[in-house]
Amino acid sequence: MKIVIIGGGIAADYIANQFLAQDASLEILILSKETYAPYDRIHLCDLVEGTAQLEDITLDLAPQVQLKLDHQVTRIERKAKQVFCGDKSYGYDYLIIASGSEPRTLFDLSQIDNAITFRSADDSFKIAKNLQDRHIVIVGAGPIGLELLDTLVRMPQPKAITLLVIDEALYAPDVDASIVAMMRATYEADPRVNIVFNDQIVDKQLDGRLITRLITKKHQIDDPFVIFGIGIQPNVDFARDALPIGRGILVDRHMRSDDLFIYAVGEAAEINETGFCAGHARDCQQQADVAIAHILKTDPQAQYHRQVAIDGLKVGAFDFIDATSPDYNPKDQANETLLLRANNPPRIDQYILNQDKLVRFFGANTNVDAMAVKRLMESNESVDPAFFYTSRLVSERGRLVCSCVGAYQAELQALIADNAVTDFAELKAYSQAGRVCGRCKNEVVTLIANTEVDPEEVARKKQAQQQAELEKKQQKIQRRLDKFNRFHPDAPLDINEIDQALAAFDKVKDFNGWVSMMTLNLEFPPVYQDLVRQGVYQLNKMPVIWLELSDCSGNSEAFIKTVNPSIDELILKFISLDYHELLMAASGPHSETRLDEIIEQYPGEYLLIVEGAIPLAMEGKYLRIGPKGETGEALLKRVAEKAAAIMAVGSCALDGGVVAAKPNPTGAVGVAEALAREDIINLPGCPVNPINVVGTLLHYLMLGEMPALDSKNRPLWAYAPRVHDNCERRGHYDAGEFVKEWGDEGAKKGWCLFEMGCKGPYADINCSLVKFNENTSWPVQVGHGCIACGQGKRAFDEYANNRKVISMPS
Amino acid sequence: MSQPTTQKIIIDPVTRIEGHLRIEVELDEHNIVNQAWASGQLFRGIETILKGRDPRDTGLIAQRICGVCTNVHYRASISAVEQAYQIEIPRNAEIVRNLVTLALFVQDHLVHYYHLHSLDYVDVVSALSADPKAASEQAHQWHSHPYQCSQSDLAASQQKLTQFVQAGRLGLFANGYWGHSAYKFSPEQNLIHMHHYLEALRIQREISKAIAIFAGKTPHPQNLVVGGVTSVMDMLNPQRMNDYLFIIKDAREFIKRAYMPDMKMLVSAYRDSIKAGEGRGHGHFMSSGGYRLFNNEPLFAQGVVFDHQFDQVADFDPVNITEEAARSWYADNEPRSPYAQTTEPEYTDLNDDGSLKTEGKYSWIKSPRYQGKAMEVGPAARMIIGYLRDAPLIKPYVDDFMQTCDLELIDFSSSIGRNAARAIEAELTCDAIFAFASELIENIKYYDETTWTQYVFEDLPTSAQGAGIFEVPRGTLAHFVRIDEAKVANYQAVVPTTWNASPKDGQNQPGPYEASLIGIHLADPQNPLEVLRVVHSFDPCLACAVHVIDAQGSELAAYRIQPKAI
Repeated sequence: MKIVIIGGGIAADYIANQFLAQDASLEILILSKETYAPYDRIHLCDLVEGTAQLEDITLDLAPQVQLKLDHQVTRIERKAKQVFCGDKSYGYDYLIIASGSEPRTLFDLSQIDNAITFRSADDSFKIAKNLQDRHIVIVGAGPIGLELLDTLVRMPQPKAITLLVIDEALYAPDVDASIVAMMRATYEADPRVNIVFNDQIVDKQLDGRLITRLITKKHQIDDPFVIFGIGIQPNVDFARDALPIGRGILVDRHMRSDDLFIYAVGEAAEINETGFCAGHARDCQQQADVAIAHILKTDPQAQYHRQVAIDGLKVGAFDFIDATSPDYNPKDQANETLLLRANNPPRIDQYILNQDKLVRFFGANTNVDAMAVKRLMESNESVDPAFFYTSRLVSERGRLVCSCVGAYQAELQALIADNAVTDFAELKAYSQAGRVCGRCKNEVVTLIANTEVDPEEVARKKQAQQQAELEKKQQKIQRRLDKFNRFHPDAPLDINEIDQALAAFDKVKDFNGWVSMMTLNLEFPPVYQDLVRQGVYQLNKMPVIWLELSDCSGNSEAFIKTVNPSIDELILKFISLDYHELLMAASGPHSETRLDEIIEQYPGEYLLIVEGAIPLAMEGKYLRIGPKGETGEALLKRVAEKAAAIMAVGSCALDGGVVAAKPNPTGAVGVAEALAREDIINLPGCPVNPINVVGTLLHYLMLGEMPALDSKNRPLWAYAPRVHDNCERRGHYDAGEFVKEWGDEGAKKGWCLFEMGCKGPYADINCSLVKFNENTSWPVQVGHGCIACGQGKRAFDEYANNRKVISMPS
Repeated sequence: MSQPTTQKIIIDPVTRIEGHLRIEVELDEHNIVNQAWASGQLFRGIETILKGRDPRDTGLIAQRICGVCTNVHYRASISAVEQAYQIEIPRNAEIVRNLVTLALFVQDHLVHYYHLHSLDYVDVVSALSADPKAASEQAHQWHSHPYQCSQSDLAASQQKLTQFVQAGRLGLFANGYWGHSAYKFSPEQNLIHMHHYLEALRIQREISKAIAIFAGKTPHPQNLVVGGVTSVMDMLNPQRMNDYLFIIKDAREFIKRAYMPDMKMLVSAYRDSIKAGEGRGHGHFMSSGGYRLFNNEPLFAQGVVFDHQFDQVADFDPVNITEEAARSWYADNEPRSPYAQTTEPEYTDLNDDGSLKTEGKYSWIKSPRYQGKAMEVGPAARMIIGYLRDAPLIKPYVDDFMQTCDLELIDFSSSIGRNAARAIEAELTCDAIFAFASELIENIKYYDETTWTQYVFEDLPTSAQGAGIFEVPRGTLAHFVRIDEAKVANYQAVVPTTWNASPKDGQNQPGPYEASLIGIHLADPQNPLEVLRVVHSFDPCLACAVHVIDAQGSELAAYRIQPKAI
């Protein structure tokens, strides 16, 4: 399913990631008009202040998401299910509009160099560049304007800062005048700051692209740098022709527009029923969750309902908190205000009630527990004003730091101290504080920096815990190593020589990476790495002989070409593959000498890998190897006699494979039959997947014995899974959706290939789990279907075709 | 005991090739080859197995002829059946097939030069004493932006090699001909080659992934059916195409900035060998052409040249192909059309000492002939014929190479020349892939998503015959199928190595390997490096390991070449 998301902010980023978390197969395309990958606007002030770089505030975006930057959507074609960016078009199955909002201005800023809005990273960079010795004029005293003002106050560059306020309100119109006065005094403690009420811009003098003089009702400001913070409006112009729009895209409570395939979330969406447009990151995320649940049908009943929102400002020593109930209507005449005010230390709690219910709370340096206020609003119970009075004193928990998870300062400090948290990343294990909307992240970071921990005590605790775990598990693996040494008493380990070999041909780094990967594959915790490393040293000492008999070199080719790059380097460099006809450089007698040497020097220790069938007809003379014309059969018997273990790789080595297909002209048989032995490990496949060879080798090495085998002597771990059971197209089989003809619509959609002769139901092998060529593809993925090539010669007589056989599997 | 004036050397099996190949040569008293025999030592009878089967199934079995050239056998087999039934496949299917086959060209050529062949010219041990700074300067002489050839890149590779040799575990490089007097590269040039040897290991793995994108896996891909291809979903997914093209792009960088400059270095160092015509055969070249582009212009031109007569290029016509087994272990002695050829073994064994019965039948490889002549096929044949035909996609590349290296066309008919032709072909094939990919994207853009030609098998004629003839990395490949009663009545594959490694025929004409070996001088018969150079220059495809024995019975195996002490 293809999902196109319009927008490049936090809402777009969040919904893209969440979609993939729910269903990794989705194709997701983001069309963003921004020049930068999605970043967290909440921290734009940090860009202005220079305490963060753009990459610090860039949001994580799953790598599978395709991101198109500088793509301004110009049109939506509902019928064709396409969006247009100029002359480029993109088809979708579902369209998500998360285009956010754009800032309002009083006049056209495109022709002016010293007036700007404050909404984007570029705005921030430009502001930062223009502060030096300038008279900064911030227009608008909402949260954005105040936060910027707070940032600028901390910076030495501005010469003067004027905040133009059209009325007498700071933050929001209904904040009580006493709080406003307190805020104002805090800001104006800096002599550069001048907050002017009841004032607005009435004219300006221009010189080219510069405002030389700004004329307000009360002042004239020369050489200003003007920053607008007078509000935002949903950015939805591109959708006007296609969709019903109020302030934003009108959506129902599932966040769906009047088009079944178009949803809107975040600031661009307006809930039709309530007229609500989201303003907080948490609102956006909740809306995104609802939209995803509805689209993917994980919860078709999911609806968005506004929650109590907690917001705040921190200006130097001054602390301001705001909690708003979803039922709050500022224009409701029945609103009543209750004020609790103390002078020392200065503290104001402002409660707004409606019909005895708490609908809004502002707190200046308040002691009140904001989470308790939130719960009060959510409970929707009538409250007695006396309750506010009795609850006015500080709770022991201290300030509310993170309203998203309800984390208090005292709790966080305790967590930090107890667990010796020294940076933000470490805190994650104990608390999500600072990670949900991100607004309080800096505060949490500061808290961590300022909370003292006793390093010795904590280090001791951590170490003791780790040590106990390590010892317990090491005992377990040590048993395996002991076992290996019992199996290999005559393989003396010269660490010095092996270290040199490891250093050789590089890549200690690759080697370490590979050891980590192998440790993971074997499902051991990272502390086992040293033990796995020891295992590889042992493997390096174990001679491996690879014989090619009546074959096509396909298994060798697969072995050298398709293993993971870091693995195959290791196979060539770290495993002692002493004899391999295709790979070895040795010319002349040396390869044969080497073969003889191994047989003589390491009897009972070398591992023999055989590729190809053994022709027995005509006294075995259909295959002769070497200057003496030794038959393949004789060579195999000679080398097999003293091998510690024998692995038959590929289908030919299993039972003759394609070479033994009817009428089997050369009398070909597999390794087990040629040797008349029952202890041959079979790894069929045409060719065998190299993952299965390497995995079996490692198993032998690590555990001192071959893995558990099935009745055909194949390792269960690789050959117990049935292709059909793990097939990526299995859902279509169950749904009765079949490809009926090559290249038909079903083929384009990846439907089940059973009707086209796929033999996945008859193939017990792990292809559908591990695929081929570094997980690039496999025969079902390219639409052909399986031929059960691992089933040996039977595959080539019964399965290697495009026709259905036998009855439908259960 | 009197010293014989001639001696015979048996090399079995030949290493760093794919397959079971034996070479026997006879030297005169000056250590010059005066007789040579090439012998395939494995018979599997895949053609016999194919008889009596449903014609739609041949591809899945025929591809198992070889695990290296696997996808071209798959394709040729399916095409032979399509030609028999006169089913024309959609253009998209043809392009997808081309994207897979041409990527195989690039991969095979790279692997051949660096991993299978370069050690015949590159002395690994000598590279250890190179000065990395001088090596970096050397690399810049052959290309203005050589592929990862800074002083530190080269020093890093040298350090790897040094540690590897010091550790005493030589793995792949154990027991080479290091120190042989026929090695001509300077230590710095050796180091550059070894550096690229390592990098090419990565590139060839990446190309395998590109092949698997449209073919499902490699070796033994599974994306073809009679009538088209199955990988429609991958074809329509732009991300898959994008992945494919970026891998090829990476490979192209390597070819232009490493493979080509290295080849020019080789040509320069062995100029005398080229000009002396070392490894030159009888000069019969053949190319069947193919891989038509959007303007119907084939990438490779078809044609036949005899006896190096470059002024006369005849048209290639498959009816002129015959096969015979006068000297091969089969019953069919007389030359016959491949449709009528059979594969009935008639094994006459080896001599008691294990040597070939060189006067009688001595190989499992048959002798294909064109108008009775033993033809050389492969990149050299394609580049020579493409040049003579003014093939627009070939001539500029060949001209450029000849001018840069001051060569003539006949110089490609030599051991080094075959390698040069192969490098040129790798470069132009890479470029052609982008042309095919563009055409495919255009087709899809205008809503052509067809990948299969519809037919009803039961309505097809029950008797038919067809051939699938393709130029593939090692030369001309032809699969011939005859269908009777809707089953395969006869099946023959004439593969490039059948042409090049063919034994003598009823007229005693040697095959190209054999002809090219005549006249080669061996500096040290116990270390027949020069023989390997000639044989490897053809990029043999059998499956292998090397043994040399003295036909007189004395064990040459007494010596052992060790790397020099560091």
